[in-house]
Amino acid sequence: MGEFLASTWYTYNTLLYTIFVNGMLALSIYLTLACGQLSLGNAAFMGMGAYTAAILTMKAGAPFGIALIAGGALPALVALIIGIPTLRLSGVYLAMATLGFGEVVRVAFLNMSITGGSLGLNGVPAKTEFWHLLLVMGILIYFFVKLKSSRFGRALEAINEDETAASVMGIRTTLFKVWAFAAGAFIAGVAGGLNAHFTFFVSPREYGFEFAVDILTFAILGGTQTFWGPIVGSTILTLLPELLRFMGPYRLALNGLILLFVVIYLPNGIVSRDTFKKKADRG
Amino acid sequence: MEPETAFSAIGEDLICIGRVTVFLQQFANALALGSVYALFAIGFTLIFGVLEIITLAHGTIFMVGAFAGLLAVTKLHLGLGPAILTAMLAAGTLGWVIDLVAVRPLRKRSFHHLAPMIATIGCATFITSIAQGLFGAEAYRFPFDFVPATSYTLGPVQLTLLQLIIIAISFAFMVIIIVLLHKTKWGKAVRAVAENRRTAALLGIPVDRVYQITSFTAGALGGAAGILTGINFNTIHAFMGGPMLHRGIAVVILGGMGDIRGALLGGLILGFSEIMSVAYISSDFRDAVSFGLLFLILLLKPAGIFGRTGERKV
Amino acid sequence: MKLPGKALVLVTAIALFATASPAAEIRIGVAEALTGPVAKYGVPIRNGFALAAEEINAKGGIKGNKIELIIEDEQGKKEEAINVFKKFIFKDRTLAIFGPTLSNSAFAADPIANAQKTIVFGTSNTAEGITAIGPYVFRNSIAEADILPKVVGVAKKKLGLKKVAILYGNDDSFTKSGYDVFKRVVEQEKLQVLTTETFAKGDIDFSAQLTKIKNLNPDAIICSALVEEAANIILQARKLGMPERIRFIGGNGFNSAKLMEIAGKAAEGSISGSPWFLDDPSAKNQEFVRTYTAKFSIPPDQFAAQAYDALYIMAEGIKAAKLSGNLEKDRTALRNALAKVKNFKGVGGLFSFNENRDAAQKGRVLIIKKGKFSLYAE
Repeated sequence: MGEFLASTWYTYNTLLYTIFVNGMLALSIYLTLACGQLSLGNAAFMGMGAYTAAILTMKAGAPFGIALIAGGALPALVALIIGIPTLRLSGVYLAMATLGFGEVVRVAFLNMSITGGSLGLNGVPAKTEFWHLLLVMGILIYFFVKLKSSRFGRALEAINEDETAASVMGIRTTLFKVWAFAAGAFIAGVAGGLNAHFTFFVSPREYGFEFAVDILTFAILGGTQTFWGPIVGSTILTLLPELLRFMGPYRLALNGLILLFVVIYLPNGIVSRDTFKKKADRG
Repeated sequence: MEPETAFSAIGEDLICIGRVTVFLQQFANALALGSVYALFAIGFTLIFGVLEIITLAHGTIFMVGAFAGLLAVTKLHLGLGPAILTAMLAAGTLGWVIDLVAVRPLRKRSFHHLAPMIATIGCATFITSIAQGLFGAEAYRFPFDFVPATSYTLGPVQLTLLQLIIIAISFAFMVIIIVLLHKTKWGKAVRAVAENRRTAALLGIPVDRVYQITSFTAGALGGAAGILTGINFNTIHAFMGGPMLHRGIAVVILGGMGDIRGALLGGLILGFSEIMSVAYISSDFRDAVSFGLLFLILLLKPAGIFGRTGERKV
Repeated sequence: MKLPGKALVLVTAIALFATASPAAEIRIGVAEALTGPVAKYGVPIRNGFALAAEEINAKGGIKGNKIELIIEDEQGKKEEAINVFKKFIFKDRTLAIFGPTLSNSAFAADPIANAQKTIVFGTSNTAEGITAIGPYVFRNSIAEADILPKVVGVAKKKLGLKKVAILYGNDDSFTKSGYDVFKRVVEQEKLQVLTTETFAKGDIDFSAQLTKIKNLNPDAIICSALVEEAANIILQARKLGMPERIRFIGGNGFNSAKLMEIAGKAAEGSISGSPWFLDDPSAKNQEFVRTYTAKFSIPPDQFAAQAYDALYIMAEGIKAAKLSGNLEKDRTALRNALAKVKNFKGVGGLFSFNENRDAAQKGRVLIIKKGKFSLYAE
């Protein structure tokens, strides 16, 4: 029995780790979505975090905790720099800025020598333990629970409802949007650092446009009315391809169909007020 | 004048002529590439303008257009014109079906404004996977000499017949769509719906039909871009829509979301910045330079080149 | 009197079990990208394995033991490659693992197999440093560093090259590794490099780079690209009016029938290098090409050929190893036996592992003539 449990754990622990990391990424974009902004740059933030943390542990021998915090701080700083000119204005600015930013970051990874160019960095030490992921996720959940009842959280909600009204009411909308964007970048960077230290490898290819869209899908599918939505969405979308292995070459086809039907039947996300209302009605 | 200096002066002239020649050729290259981006973006922006959604299935529609055209040529032995029409019909039908299956059910209810986008991702994943099941992941091409490989030498510049066709078709479609939108009853209905769906419905405009026709038209334009890209660049495969979609989004935002002229101009700007950054800066930094430039333009023109300010947030 | 009857049944059962036991199946995991864009490499690899396994089993297996391939899709993603490797190691308890398709995934997944003392045998990982991951990592994909110097040397001598232009994909570890080798070789051969241009994966238009190169008028273009991009580059170069005397020189990436299928006549005269080529007239290769094409209705490429040979190489190792039935011990025994495989005669010619468990195999220089690969120099 013990042996069976051990082998099951070793078979699936990477999958479990990936669920946690994707959950963090989904939360990172949730912060921007919560103030009505569309970011396509969270994959790039994750990449910056992954590279920064990996370089620090590999080349500078930094303690893992320090490397992770630095991996979150650098993208957060960059997010402040991009956010201040773009988030002043409403509309699609952030989408375009982050789309362009993603390309700039990819090209930078490719052309720098410290990042190993297109060959990436291999031999990243195995540092990520399950309790690290539990701890980070725990902190995030605590943070999001507190956020809901805080001034900051209420300000974000007001901006999401009606930005003009919020600014008339005296909320410094740009400031809050920039902070939310930068905090999201921090979370994505930490997630990237954690990911690099259990997959042992980082390369520029992984953090492109397609993964940015995947992260967005995690959040929207799960629902963005509460922070539980993105966590549920990312868990389901990470598990699904593994559960659909029996479909062979058509597993992605079924994956697409399931995504489509979930969105059609639960257009506000899996975790949303109408889902619970329906359940309550039935009960 | 010493013979030597005379010689070097001629040399400089030659270098200068060489530079101009290369510039003109790069200009032609940029025009051809930009036209492909523009053709792709016109359908994309049309959907955004009328349905107010970003359809991430447009890359897949583009791919289906290319494969439909390929099958029309290899299995039915059609010529260029009929093949393009087949591709447009197939891709247009797919656009209509996606609207019916993924977007229409959402229109009837309140939803997160990005939900239709995610629904189109589901469609795209499904269709791409089926295409891979049918055709594998490898690349196909149209038969050799399907379009005569005639090259026109305009002065120092080489342009193929196909490149000229692509440039012509892109501009023609833009003109046709603009004329249709502004001169016909249907066009007016489409514009009314784009302006305000509720008012249009009150005025008795069949909003749902307008959405369906728009989806078909946008799909058909994507299909045309697909087959022409397939013929010109000889790489038709299940994943060909990916890079195009990525660039298409940038082009549509740049041009002003929902603006046809903007899509054309945006496509050309992207084509030019990609080609010219390779030609005069460095191919290593092409994508960073061209996407960076698009962002800078957007800083100067906040809602895109032709966009109106105060539009709804995405 | 009933007891002996039961005993007889029991004895028969034991006897059956005893005879059945040596004919156990040898489980080998195959982790390749079977869906997604990387499937164009992963699918031929899987086909190569499937064909070799079918042939080996049809001839009675290895010492009477059949090979059972467990095939899983890893989509060309590192997390999926890790998941599949772990499934093979801990759940399916395979004797060895083939794959993954990309070097990138190998850097993520191979350390796990190595830590669990399970052989991982790559057939398509060409990046530098793969076998340095550990003693359980093997590959038969010949590194570009072993062939390209010869290709450039031969081309320089036969064509009298002096100045070249280089064009490569800078966001792919395969094409970038190829470029690094080309760059070194070009310096050694004292060729003048007029310009170095790059492109990105998924690009379809190369006109800007080619216009620039055309204007510099090189003797040849050295091109590190995968086949679909390579074919398109050659085709577009000729469309831009680049004369045929400007030859294209490439590596492994050129070695597929797709090159001629897409580039057609434009591919004529292109030079590349590889141990295996489709039109190699040797009887063994012709037989392989014939059965493969009949089974999968598409001719094999280098990926398929290397996978096909890899399973036979693995079979050599299994034959030589003394397997006990204790999986942990058998994995190590197989590792030691496999490392000793020497002078195996495959479709790609004679094969041995070197001391780093990399391929020690002779590369041949190829040229495309009349739409076929033919030998340019041994």
